[in-house]
Amino acid sequence: MSENQKPLSFIEKMKLKAQNQTNYGGITDIKTASMATRDCPNCGAGRAKQDGLTNCGYCGFEFMAIKLTDGLHIKKEDNSK
Amino acid sequence: MFGFNKKEEQTPDWFIEATATRDRWFNFLEKLEQKLQDLCQESLPVLQETLQTDTDLYKRQFGLMQSGILGQIENIREKAYETHDNKINHYYADLTRHIEPSSPFYKAIYDLKYECSDRYHKTFDEKLQYWRNKINNISEGNLEEKYQNIVDEFEGLKDKFNCSQCGANIPITKMYFITAYLTCPSCQTQNTFDPSSKAKGLEQLGRELAQERTAHLKENHNSEKNKERELYHEAHNLKLSYNHQTDKKTVAQKEQQIAELEKQRQESIANAPKLYEIYLKAFYSEWSTLVPDLTEHNNKRLQNDLERI
Repeated sequence: MSENQKPLSFIEKMKLKAQNQTNYGGITDIKTASMATRDCPNCGAGRAKQDGLTNCGYCGFEFMAIKLTDGLHIKKEDNSK
Repeated sequence: MFGFNKKEEQTPDWFIEATATRDRWFNFLEKLEQKLQDLCQESLPVLQETLQTDTDLYKRQFGLMQSGILGQIENIREKAYETHDNKINHYYADLTRHIEPSSPFYKAIYDLKYECSDRYHKTFDEKLQYWRNKINNISEGNLEEKYQNIVDEFEGLKDKFNCSQCGANIPITKMYFITAYLTCPSCQTQNTFDPSSKAKGLEQLGRELAQERTAHLKENHNSEKNKERELYHEAHNLKLSYNHQTDKKTVAQKEQQIAELEKQRQESIANAPKLYEIYLKAFYSEWSTLVPDLTEHNNKRLQNDLERI
């Protein structure tokens, strides 16, 4: 029997199966660090620190429909008034 | 039945059969052990290679293979467990039920049963555990290097980002591992900083690295716990050894030895939680040093863990 006709061993079959299996949620893409802003789609203003994160400081557009609580970087004070 | 009640001097057939059953069981376990060894020896280098070549961020291809092999090991364990239960335990229990306790074969059957049990619970299980640990403990082994990569990346992009609103530079002041809002110092606009995939692994990596760095302290605790068990067994064996002893001097001597061992054992029992506390404190403080953002969180976890000792 030639080399390439040799039946696959159990481990090789297992490896092949693991390679061909697709993951739930698809392939993870490896990203580099990035910076972006989200302007208000209503009036075009940027979000300023003192206006809070949840609503636009100018026209009141709701960026987020949730109430922020204290976390690692986000604090309660980040809620718009 | 089986000629159990016949009074004869020569070894009865059923006893020869019982001995053969033990030998068959030994052979069976040997074959399983061989199978286990072949499986693990063949899969270890393949697993190691898969871990190195797996391009997935979470090494899921490796994870699939690893759990597949662990599943195979589990199958072998189950097979041994079921066979021991059906073919050995039940078989010898049935036999002893039919023999008079006064028969010379009564003890012999028990001895056979214990031999089979020891072969299974000691030798076989130890080997199984040995291989299971080997498969479980495959790691890339370069946590320090990975951590250094994240630090280097952070040093490289500290001043690389500008506000997308006004263009002013926004300094990255610490190693973020989750998305964060950063305020532009010039125009106060909230910019969203999204750390790289590599940096997002910092939280978990910090934990593993802290575990690796404090492993010696955990080992101290483990050996103290084992010491307690060893002292207990030593004392227990001593106790058994003077059960039928009538010489008072020897008994007193052994009792004194036991008391000494018990004292050491109590010391060990008192010592183990202290060592565990040392380990926990070192581990969490190391983790907090690696990932300062988790300090508050880690302190809470430390308190919880300490209460549970």
